Amino acid sequence: MPQARTFLFIFISLIISAGQLLAQPAKPEWRYEGPRVGIDLSRFLMSGFQHASRTGWEVQADIPWKGNFFPTVEFGTQQFDDKKDNFRYQNNGFYGRAGIDLNILKFESLSDGDLLFVGARYGYSRFKHWASDVVIPNYWGDYYGSIPERNMNAHWAEIVFGMKGELAHNFFIGWSLRAKILFSKSKDPVMSPYIIPGMGKTTGDIPFDFSFGVYYRFPLRKTQTLPKPLQMGGKSNDDEEEDDQFNNSGGSYNQGGFNRGGSSGSALLN
Amino acid sequence: MRLKCIIFTAFVLLLVSCKEEKRCYESTDSLMMVNFLGSNGEEIDSLMVKGIDRNAVGDTLVHDTIAAEVKHLGLPLSMSYDSTGFQVFANGKAAIFYLNHSMQIKLVSEDCGFAPEFQITGGRFSALIDSIIVTDPVVNNKSSETHATSQNILIYFHLADN
Repeated sequence: MPQARTFLFIFISLIISAGQLLAQPAKPEWRYEGPRVGIDLSRFLMSGFQHASRTGWEVQADIPWKGNFFPTVEFGTQQFDDKKDNFRYQNNGFYGRAGIDLNILKFESLSDGDLLFVGARYGYSRFKHWASDVVIPNYWGDYYGSIPERNMNAHWAEIVFGMKGELAHNFFIGWSLRAKILFSKSKDPVMSPYIIPGMGKTTGDIPFDFSFGVYYRFPLRKTQTLPKPLQMGGKSNDDEEEDDQFNNSGGSYNQGGFNRGGSSGSALLN
Repeated sequence: MRLKCIIFTAFVLLLVSCKEEKRCYESTDSLMMVNFLGSNGEEIDSLMVKGIDRNAVGDTLVHDTIAAEVKHLGLPLSMSYDSTGFQVFANGKAAIFYLNHSMQIKLVSEDCGFAPEFQITGGRFSALIDSIIVTDPVVNNKSSETHATSQNILIYFHLADN
């Protein structure tokens, strides 16, 4: 009998404990924000699909601004070596791009960091190029020559479309497709560069490029406010406003703040 | 999760679709376009052109036996020297001419490679030739593009028997 009493006591205690646990308010969920820094992996992955050697690195960084805007800087270096049957073209240099991305995807929850974006960039590159092992067959005897090194620069603009998805907490992967418009490049009457570090091919009316990268977001700031989704067309939609409100573990959020279980607004992380 | 799937799918599709196509659609032959004419409008019955110092068998540049008032030819210039000489046999009569030129190579395109560009600066010729007129001193890979109409130099022969 004492055993039965003990079991009954334990059973009741467990039920009470479980009830207390369930009754406790859930820990408030935070939205983390901060600069996101990453590297472009396509420089490494795509080299296997191209006959020419294209090596280098690129760092990309962005920071959230006013919710859906992401000012962005990108910089890197590139070494290009194209060995062909009748010549070898090489260039190397560095480049930088600055611009902004605009997220067009609605954030579904505080933990949602996925982005679908369009953006624009201004790009600048300084590089040198040269050619060697030039062979030109000729009736009078084949010609062997080279083109000496020359310093060049180029300016261009990019229109960007891409995505970034949060794979794990603060870790993102993403890709972007870029249409590039060359504004100007140094004049070289002998050899016009057919590839520019940071811009890519200069042939074709509007060259396209693709990049794929991994990123880490430094969670310097936490907030419980969701950025307002981008309003397309001006007039607000009541249904959409309703969609923006959602329940989360007993509390309710809206775009203005958190109604229960803690402070609202944003706070710097310690 | 939806985005992660899209990201992965798009990445794979784009990677698979990355196929480079390489083709050269431009000429890399820089031929000097020459019109041969009789100084008094005589017809040229036969014309043979050889490069001077290139007399080995098979080195004849042109052997044209179709009678015509104007013979239109493309001739290569030397890339190793700043002067190029030709021996011409027009209606069986021999003449020689030399052209002085400068040369630099230029990149035509990634797929085509390099081609020379010459600038004709002067020349000299033997007695059978009446005159040489340089109409376009620049000889490059585009000179022969419109082969029927393009012209760098005009050569008049004394073909009439004295």
